[in-house]
Amino acid sequence: MFAYIARRIVYVIPIVISVALVCFLLVHITPGDPLVAVLPADASQELAAQLRSAYGFDRPLPVQFGLWLWRAVHGDLGNSIATGRPVLSEVMRAVGNTVMLAIAAAMIGFTLGLLFGLIAGYFRDTWIDKVSTSFAIAGVSLPHYWLGMVMVIIFSVQLNWLPAVGAGPGGSGAWAWDWEHLRYLILPAITTSVIPMGIVTRTVRALTGDILSQDFVEALRAKGLRETEVFRHVVKNAAPTALAVMGLQLGYMLGGSILIETVFSWPGSGLLLNSAIFQRDLPLLQGTILVLALFFVLLNLLVDIAQAAIDPRIKRS
Amino acid sequence: MRNEKPKTTAAAMALAFALGAGMVPADAETVLRIGMTAADIPRTLGQPDQGFEGNRFTGLTMYDGLTMWDLSSSDKASTLIAGLATEWKVEESDKKKWVFKLRPGVTFHDGSPFNADAVVWNVDKVLKQDAPQFDPSQVGVTASRMPTLVSARKIDDLTVELTTKEPDSFLPINLTNLFMASPAKWQKFYDTAEGADAKARSQAAWAAFAKDASGTGPWKMSSFTPRERLELVKNDNYWDKARVPKVDKMVLLPMPEANARTAALLSGQVNWVEAPAPDALPEIKQRGFALYSNEEPHVWPWQFSRVEGSPWNDIRVRKAANLCVDREGLRDGLLAGLMVPATGTFEPGHPWRGNPTFQIKYDKPAAQKLMQEAGFGPNKKLTVKIQTSASGSGQMLPLPMNEYLQQALAECYFDVQLDVIEWNTLFTNWRRGVKDPSANGSNATNVTYAAMDPFFALVRFLQSGMAPPVSNNWGYINNPKFDELVTKARQTFDPAARDAALAELHAASVDDAAFLYVAHDVAPRAMSSKIKGFVQPKSWFVDFSPVTIVP
Amino acid sequence: MSVLSDAALQAPPTAKARGYWATVGRRIARDKVSMACAFILALIFAAALLAPWLHLADPYQGSMIRRLRHIGTPNYPLGTDELGRDMLARLIYGGRLSLIVGILPVILAFVIGTSLGLVAGYVGGKLNTAIMRTVDVFYAFPSVLLAIAISGALGAGIVNSIVSLTIVFVPQITRVAESVTTGVRNMDFVEAARASGAGPFTIMRVHMLGNVLGPIFVYATGLISVSMILAAGLSFLGLGTKPPEPEWGLMLNTLRTAIYVNPWVAALPGAMIFAVSICFNLLSDGMRSAMDIRN
Repeated sequence: MFAYIARRIVYVIPIVISVALVCFLLVHITPGDPLVAVLPADASQELAAQLRSAYGFDRPLPVQFGLWLWRAVHGDLGNSIATGRPVLSEVMRAVGNTVMLAIAAAMIGFTLGLLFGLIAGYFRDTWIDKVSTSFAIAGVSLPHYWLGMVMVIIFSVQLNWLPAVGAGPGGSGAWAWDWEHLRYLILPAITTSVIPMGIVTRTVRALTGDILSQDFVEALRAKGLRETEVFRHVVKNAAPTALAVMGLQLGYMLGGSILIETVFSWPGSGLLLNSAIFQRDLPLLQGTILVLALFFVLLNLLVDIAQAAIDPRIKRS
Repeated sequence: MRNEKPKTTAAAMALAFALGAGMVPADAETVLRIGMTAADIPRTLGQPDQGFEGNRFTGLTMYDGLTMWDLSSSDKASTLIAGLATEWKVEESDKKKWVFKLRPGVTFHDGSPFNADAVVWNVDKVLKQDAPQFDPSQVGVTASRMPTLVSARKIDDLTVELTTKEPDSFLPINLTNLFMASPAKWQKFYDTAEGADAKARSQAAWAAFAKDASGTGPWKMSSFTPRERLELVKNDNYWDKARVPKVDKMVLLPMPEANARTAALLSGQVNWVEAPAPDALPEIKQRGFALYSNEEPHVWPWQFSRVEGSPWNDIRVRKAANLCVDREGLRDGLLAGLMVPATGTFEPGHPWRGNPTFQIKYDKPAAQKLMQEAGFGPNKKLTVKIQTSASGSGQMLPLPMNEYLQQALAECYFDVQLDVIEWNTLFTNWRRGVKDPSANGSNATNVTYAAMDPFFALVRFLQSGMAPPVSNNWGYINNPKFDELVTKARQTFDPAARDAALAELHAASVDDAAFLYVAHDVAPRAMSSKIKGFVQPKSWFVDFSPVTIVP
Repeated sequence: MSVLSDAALQAPPTAKARGYWATVGRRIARDKVSMACAFILALIFAAALLAPWLHLADPYQGSMIRRLRHIGTPNYPLGTDELGRDMLARLIYGGRLSLIVGILPVILAFVIGTSLGLVAGYVGGKLNTAIMRTVDVFYAFPSVLLAIAISGALGAGIVNSIVSLTIVFVPQITRVAESVTTGVRNMDFVEAARASGAGPFTIMRVHMLGNVLGPIFVYATGLISVSMILAAGLSFLGLGTKPPEPEWGLMLNTLRTAIYVNPWVAALPGAMIFAVSICFNLLSDGMRSAMDIRN
């Protein structure tokens, strides 16, 4: 097991470096002035040149990349141009809020997904299956940002039950686990949960159906094994794949939250990314993308290891 | 659906009431909760970003300048008044030197005194590159707003001498943009800051200062959650006793989406929003919220190309365009009342308005006649190409408004082509000028501007020396009369005479139809009817001090 | 994801392609849901294609006095948008761009990804390693993040969003193509062809393409739904189509300001994205189960 883990970790290192390079290049192929956030259009050219060298944007790209990577390894992603605050702390605080949203959404989406999936798999081709699969397919086909908007229309604008935007009456800094704050989490969490719900349902349905249709299940049943035992068997065999899918979905929720966070002004990494893009704040942009991608890589690694721990066959492949 | 509204509203009110009751503490601390249009809290370290909205919320609240704007009246033009300086005058012998007398007895929020050293320190933070407190990130927004200021020197504890590159009577107006941060507080952060070198420590000190700022303003910083929330409390020791805030606390929340702001107001999350969604105004009014707006020193124009071959070189064409637009129709239709028709950069009543002979109004026959004289008609249209963007700070509703102009001008034999580009590209091209390839063959550009200060309102567009790459004379206007009047205004140091010279310059620009003047923004804001005492001046800024909240 | 590829990997077991595809066709034709979806999609495509001949209002011509009319207003069956433009016309014309931006990246990625995957899978060795390790780097980004990062870097615009979505999908299709190819390469009929003296190019063209393309094609149709949602999402963020072009994502964005006045008109473009996306998904499901001979 340790050998496997070590091998996986070694394998991740070149990926991480390539990911950093992609982040850096993405941001630097960009046309436009990186100092647009601190340099008004009416500033003189002299001032612009002075600032460009003060920020180090006049150096060759490989040098800038080297410096950035070197500092990043030491836990310093530089300072945001627009706010002057350290990028790392900005990103980590935002990621914290995204994690909160993702976990809430995962609890809703995974629970419903497992439930629908198991039921549909057990009762294949009955009306229950049809209803569950319809939910699932609707879930994966919904433009979730649109769903968010529709939910705001219904629950905030028309019924005035839930707040439309934000993370609590005092912002995420004053977050508390009470109803007054949780109200703010409901709409974005439900919206975020729809896709994972659909995907988990479909996965679990397929897995359950496949396992139940295998010959040896019939044999077990014929031998008089109780249904609870059969169920345990299903869970045991479906778990590795289901876990992998859920891990991946959690990663997507962390990294792909920009649309939902924009709809709900949720102060997470997606909203941060959005403002970094539109303010052309290069250090913040490349830092945010890097941290999110690294989270995703790490999550994939953990899923792989967890999968291998549950199902030893995987290690060999 | 309209008919069902009262019922839902009543239910919503009841709910909001029930929830609100739990939130307000018994001693009823009064709190202004404001939804700003900014996407992020403007910088808090003294020189805000986010344009004049930044100055409004994190500049003028926590800090003061040597000079300030009078924000006390909603009818008079907002004019320059004394701030941390009580009086100032230019040296008769050398017109590049100014002497500012400072207000005695003023202290920063941390208790340290405000004096000449503090002024010199604050000038150096943006102009003296080898000063420890020099901060490149504050230079851009500051230096460009006081283009001629070079340095500061202490004469005695309460007297400072400021030096400019060239004689410049606009300096006192420029100085409203230089906010006085506390050197003592900063020094404390600097002394304990970690960092490889002095530069890194200086950066760290500014970052710490931004989280725990200290100025002399009527509001003090009490808590700060980056990107989400800034809390200010009233400064009981403010030097102007008349302007000690009447409300205990002010909470500033960035809400860039008009819908989000509106929803937050309607649901009671905030009690004041800047620029509510125009389409929601009827709903806001119907639910009993108060709406305020007033003419702002802001212009929504078309800025003409005047290079060789531009159709706008014919003054008849420029005048015709100005006469062909029904601005009142635009105001009452598309903008739901939220604009003031522009008849120049400044409107009557403003000290810099002057007496232009060309009256800008809607007069289609006159416009058509001018166009016919210029050789155009129903069968010979004049094609003009306008660059604009779909969004952008201060641009109001750029696409619909330009489409409106397109239709209006078609009546006067114009064939208007719109080149819609990204806001950043438009803004960058504004600086590069019409000859730059990014202008894409257009012969007018549509970038709105703030008209607070004579340099930004007039000089940078009208003076021939301001052509790219120096400044924003996008279309290369080259009019000796403008140049002469600019020089005259800059070198007239008696404030009244200077204003008269500026008025003359403005009148000349209107008579020359230098722009297609379309609209002034009105800075709409909506707030709870419990908020009283608010005065919306003709300014980008407001004074939060007199505001009260009734229970 | 893994469900999708597992099923997609159920390659036809023999090279008797014609009989197999005929069976698949018959099975799809009997599937009511798939047929309904195909019909709806055909309708939307036809409307978008024939828009200029449908006697619609001008989708660009606005009017200040008839802004935000409700659904069912005479002359404006689906109301008007924030600039008083006819929603029906804009939704139909909007389909043109939305469908192009949604589908073209998948087609491009299908061509590029299949080529890469075929080469990697057939040639193997170092070339395989080079291609597949590069693909792994892009897999290290969640797809939404990657699409937005690339679009954010390149700037708004239709071409840029097509480019960024293509970059997002190429690695996914390459992976599927590579694994199918590797699987098929070792099958008996390829060995037989090789033994009978066929060159590698002929083998790849005749035998492998036929057996490999099917599963990749099914996988790609599944991606169209994702692509539609992402493409509209980019426009929704302001990173895709630019105004005043009608495009569903962008319409959704600009109509957001109207949700207090006319919420259901504001929700219409999203309903279109949903309809197209769910139809492609169901159709792709239908095809997959039709190709799955086991059932």
